[in-house]
Amino acid sequence: MIEKGKISAFQMAIIMNPTIFATALLLVPAITARLAKQDLWLSPIWGSISGILAVCIASKLNKLYPEQTIIQYSEHILGKIAGKIVGLTFILYFLHLNGMVIREYGEFVVGTFLNNTPMYIVMGAMLLVCSLAVYGGIESIGRSSQILVPVVSLLFVLMTLLLIKDLDPNNLLPIMEDGLKPSIMGSIVPSGWFSEFIAIAFFLPFLKDSEKAMKWGIISVISVTALLVLTNVSTYMLLGKLTIKETYPVMVAVRYISIADFLEHLEAIVMAIWVSGTFIKISLFYYITVLGLAQLLRLSDYRPIVLPIGFLLLVIAIWTTPNLQNLAHFLGTSGAFYLLTFQLGIPFVLLCLALLRKKFQQKKDEKH
Amino acid sequence: MNNTVFKFKKILLFSFFCLLVPLLTGCWDRDELNDLAFITAAGIDKKTESTIELTVAVYIPKAAGGGGEMGGSGGSSGEGQQVLVRSAEGITLADALSQLQQRFPRKLFWGHTEVFVIDEELAKDKDIRRIVDFIMRHPRTRERSHIFISKQKAKDLFSLKPPLERDLAEVLVELAESKIGVDITMKDLAQMLIGDSEAAVLPYIETLKPQTGQDKKQTIATIVGTAVFKKGKMIGSIDESATRGLLWLRNEIQLAVVTVKPKNSEGHVSMNLLRAESKLIPKIENGNWKITLKSETEDDIVQNETTLDTRNTKTIQMLEQELEQDINEKVKPILDQVQKEMNADIFGFAEAFHRAYPDAWKKYKNNWDDIFPTIEVRLDTTAKIRRPGIVTEPGAFPEQEVREE
Repeated sequence: MIEKGKISAFQMAIIMNPTIFATALLLVPAITARLAKQDLWLSPIWGSISGILAVCIASKLNKLYPEQTIIQYSEHILGKIAGKIVGLTFILYFLHLNGMVIREYGEFVVGTFLNNTPMYIVMGAMLLVCSLAVYGGIESIGRSSQILVPVVSLLFVLMTLLLIKDLDPNNLLPIMEDGLKPSIMGSIVPSGWFSEFIAIAFFLPFLKDSEKAMKWGIISVISVTALLVLTNVSTYMLLGKLTIKETYPVMVAVRYISIADFLEHLEAIVMAIWVSGTFIKISLFYYITVLGLAQLLRLSDYRPIVLPIGFLLLVIAIWTTPNLQNLAHFLGTSGAFYLLTFQLGIPFVLLCLALLRKKFQQKKDEKH
Repeated sequence: MNNTVFKFKKILLFSFFCLLVPLLTGCWDRDELNDLAFITAAGIDKKTESTIELTVAVYIPKAAGGGGEMGGSGGSSGEGQQVLVRSAEGITLADALSQLQQRFPRKLFWGHTEVFVIDEELAKDKDIRRIVDFIMRHPRTRERSHIFISKQKAKDLFSLKPPLERDLAEVLVELAESKIGVDITMKDLAQMLIGDSEAAVLPYIETLKPQTGQDKKQTIATIVGTAVFKKGKMIGSIDESATRGLLWLRNEIQLAVVTVKPKNSEGHVSMNLLRAESKLIPKIENGNWKITLKSETEDDIVQNETTLDTRNTKTIQMLEQELEQDINEKVKPILDQVQKEMNADIFGFAEAFHRAYPDAWKKYKNNWDDIFPTIEVRLDTTAKIRRPGIVTEPGAFPEQEVREE
């Protein structure tokens, strides 16, 4: 096996938490609020269903092929050529997805803090750090998220607590003004985000305690849901309909904190949450791409392709969209379906075929 | 052989890290503290029909430091000006800002701007929603900055030298936060402008007359009322006492000394408000839209001019009723003025109905301007007097003059 490191199921859960939450934190409240209005806090709950589905599909497939990643077993399931094609599309998909994530990161940093810095410097610096993490393998990503995630989550909850005095619960009323439809419509985009949980299909084979994978996967989904509900509730209670108008509502909300004229201007903390969260997210997808490609091409080691792929990611991040509006539009509309197709659709088809194949195999065995 | 490769790797790694170091400073956005001009307050005035004038008050760090060092020795030397006021004309706020930047050796920095003042003329003439856009869109301006409407030109206000505070921005922030009038931040204003009723309020400020004999500039601007906006345009203003009523309706009242004159007694009784809570309860009955303002307040007696015995529970009950009546009388005139004349829903009735009757709201929201003036407002006020202060009977009246009721 290329990857010799092992992580625990708990580490997997803690890697996945910022993978979904970090980017969702900044962009999703505004996108969801546009459709769901004051019911936006319900949307992550509906969205989490796709996360749970993704975890289930990934761990079911892992039960059938415990030693292999999705790239490897798709060859088993579909045959050599079709399997390779599916594997390649997966790698291209994750390249593109990660390119968008890096771009989101760059857009936020450049748009709100470093207005004059060229974006490729911001994104390139991040990619360099991530490439070091990828070099270290899954274990180093797991360990760094073990350090970062508790700090980030704590800071985030602290921010929400500091906001309490400015919150107006009336903003959330009337609940379900137009029934469930707006909140379900609003959940389509978060669903796409949640389906990124399929990423665990790439490192389930490296778990020390794979029997706990399902349990921790679902705990991770629930923790992300809880954090997103908290974000949406507090943002909407503070900003009301203004949530729709802001590009980064959470940033604005945190900037609004003022305790005793003293504890103010805390947006640097949002930045810290964002940078460390996206670091995990980018590293993870980066790792998946590199590992997947190495497995697809049957390389003996994935390390030599880390930097070239990193460079490719930077280029994709720059090419993927001409501006932020385009990116946000894509993510808010067709992007969700694009994400869902690759992250739920294809894996689901793979699982069905794998199960059929197994049945077929059993029948064949009985005949003999 | 192996050793040299190892060494080479080490050197490569070292030079790589050296290359990374300059990136850590964020070169392109490096802003040295002494290259920035901190805007403490910005004023926007109408200049001509098509242009506005932006005035900024910039903090001068040198003078502030010097004043402290002088201590008692200099006397008048501590009065060195602490803010620099400059203005520029432009078609839009951003345009004026770029003009203004040319007149500053330092980069104008919006991150500490706590006050925006818009003059009345501009507010009545132009849509303030256009100005608000800049403040919301700029990455450095703060959503918590306070907004004011000024009777005078903002440019004139900023040249005032407040005797007690560092500059006018500080004065205005303190005044807004003491809640004597409405306290509106950028976020609140934006929320009101896109709210169900599209009506908004802003504190209305005016220069306080300087003390006789003092320099004309030695004064401040104070909140004298509330400016009322509808669809982004100022349609009028209400005075200080009506603002008290408005605060009751908006559940924003925090400071109040209420003075009542009890029946059949000479003199007045003053009470200090400790807590107040008000709630709007909307109701639609047979097509009639009604709203009840349910307010509760707790007060302490702070002065008793009369000979009434404040130990007596009956006296307290009587005073409570007087207090309730007084609050009702404060709220009624504002309803007449704003609800009937201006037809601007600045009390949040629209939101209250929207929340309680979403279906009816959907049907009638386009007719809100016709419905709003006809809404019947009922007042349900409960006042509680908690403590008589630290004397019981009227403090300085002889025993035999004190009456039970």
